Amino acid sequence: MNHAFHLLGTEHELWLARTGSGHYRLHAGAADVAVSLAPISEEVHELRVRDERMPVVIAQRGDEVHVHLAGETYLLRYTHNLERFADHSVAEGEAVLRAPMPGAVISVAVQAGDSVTRGQALLVIESMKMETTIAASCDGTVHTLHVATGQTFDRDAPLVTLERGAPAA
Amino acid sequence: MWLNNRAKQRKTYEQDGERVLSAWPFQSVLVANRGEIALRIVRTVQRLGLRAVVVHHAVDAGSVAVRQADEAIEITGSTPVAAYLDGAQIIEAARRSGAGAVHPGYGFLSENAGFARACAEAGLVFVGPTPELIALMGDKVTARAFVARGGFPVAPSAIEDDDPASFVKRARAVGYPLLIKPAAGGGGKGMRIVRDGSVLEAEIERARSEGQRYFGDGRLYVERFIENPRHIEVQVLGDSHGNVVHLHERECSVQRRFQKIVEESPSPALTEALRKDICEAAAGITRAAGYSNAGTVEFIYGDGRFYFLEMNTRLQVEHPVTEAVLGLDLVEQQLRVAAGEALGFTQADLKPRGHAIEFRIYAEDPAAGYLPTTGPVLVLREPTGEGIRVDSGIRAGHEVTAAFDPMLAKLIVSGATREQAIERARQALHDYVVLGCKTNIAFLRRLCAHPAFMAGEIHTGFLDAHPEVAAEPVLNDATLQQLLAVAALMTRPVRDAADAVPALHAAMGAWRNT
Repeated sequence: MNHAFHLLGTEHELWLARTGSGHYRLHAGAADVAVSLAPISEEVHELRVRDERMPVVIAQRGDEVHVHLAGETYLLRYTHNLERFADHSVAEGEAVLRAPMPGAVISVAVQAGDSVTRGQALLVIESMKMETTIAASCDGTVHTLHVATGQTFDRDAPLVTLERGAPAA
Repeated sequence: MWLNNRAKQRKTYEQDGERVLSAWPFQSVLVANRGEIALRIVRTVQRLGLRAVVVHHAVDAGSVAVRQADEAIEITGSTPVAAYLDGAQIIEAARRSGAGAVHPGYGFLSENAGFARACAEAGLVFVGPTPELIALMGDKVTARAFVARGGFPVAPSAIEDDDPASFVKRARAVGYPLLIKPAAGGGGKGMRIVRDGSVLEAEIERARSEGQRYFGDGRLYVERFIENPRHIEVQVLGDSHGNVVHLHERECSVQRRFQKIVEESPSPALTEALRKDICEAAAGITRAAGYSNAGTVEFIYGDGRFYFLEMNTRLQVEHPVTEAVLGLDLVEQQLRVAAGEALGFTQADLKPRGHAIEFRIYAEDPAAGYLPTTGPVLVLREPTGEGIRVDSGIRAGHEVTAAFDPMLAKLIVSGATREQAIERARQALHDYVVLGCKTNIAFLRRLCAHPAFMAGEIHTGFLDAHPEVAAEPVLNDATLQQLLAVAALMTRPVRDAADAVPALHAAMGAWRNT
């Protein structure tokens, strides 16, 4: 069965086949290569791909595999098959505005229940010592405010949930 | 001289260090900061045989500085940053711990004249200049006027306070491009470049709103903007006996969003004659101000001329560059001056040696417009070797959050020449591993390999002019296979699925049609 990993915004399908103790073949795209991984210490491994050997530093966290290879770091995320083939459509009536970057809330201009029009300023956030206005992505009503003034948040954190619809006249 | 001075210092500690230090007005120093700088100050305080106390917000309870300090006192605030800005609480912590002096580090309360005054009123020695000098240099307009009065070079400008009604008109007369700056500003906050007169008024209002928010002060001034200037600054040191020396220059031209990323000494841009001029101008400004303790006079340099930018009345982030080329400990010098000692050297004694470069390690994604990143530090491996120094505020297990500035650590590399320092830096950045939270380390390594950087052809617009340095490198097929191999072999469901099939069948799988 194929597995999938996300790397730099692209999904890569692969499968692994065992050829002996600790020895595998990696099938990914057109590639079919002999691979193995031997631990040198808790964090450092020796990776072999074909006949090439190289040290890699690896850390895992849940489905994330963090890799340091030749001076660059990479993040690969394992996608469970359930998730891959799940129906991704969101409840049609809702629009969730998420934080484009980590930061803090400077001010909030609306409250739950308010009617808003597309483009209307909802809140002002600060990141990287710069202010950014978060504006309504559609006409509708403020369903939930997920943050308050002064609160800090991480990237992709939900800020405001809007219920789509024509604004009240 | 470089070695002689070190030897002399060591001899002083051994022979009469105890006697001299026990006569100091403080035996215990409270560090009012966090992260790498708190740890760096604690180390020098302890090396001198003094007691180090740190204050910390609960989120920093497990930090390296807290672990290293002789005593740690928790402070609270509505946000973690607010705790470190709460002067009254910090002074109370100093009183409770019996500290006799407060070292503010950089940022937070380091350039707050009110805090320096409150320390003095509480009987604490503030490790820095007098509140009057902090106030003079903290207001960019009064600082500029002071420097201009002394006959030192400043860029053409218009100051709102001189006559608010005619500010816009006078700003137009300065000519484009121009730079709008908050009078109370610093660190690039609220600064705006205007190239086109039609947006001048709108940009003035935006800068005013940012100035109001960041500094509680909406007053502005504009300055002629020098295209592709270099940022060159001079470290200065004065004592309370009227002695002033400069500790040579640092070039900090590689910046993003007006914030420094790489700093080095000596500057690759200056001739010997210009180096002498700029360093003497800095020392002259310092002397004219009657300044004591460590400070930095910043200049912009372009077309063979330099102009005063501002004076920072504190220890700078990039001070280790100066320490590396002079073989001095600047925090030790600050403490000696604060204790009332006279400088132990003259200008002629200060002979820089070799070349040093500092790289700021930030939790940020250069390819995504240098957006700050967050996450846990899962693995941390710092480089070691000849000429390598790492000043770090993180350890494995540390959680990088949006609560503080994204600077995690500093890598300082020195060598006999600039070429050797860059060569060592490339290896050190290659070996520097932070996993779990994206950093700019790989970006810095690519920067080191850039021909223009290697040639010393840098200016403050360098990264905008060379976007390829920040771009994510293209993944070639070989690297992709290596990464997928690691991910597949490390991920349980993938490996389990492979191991569930007997090796013979798996081998057949090589020509199985899937």
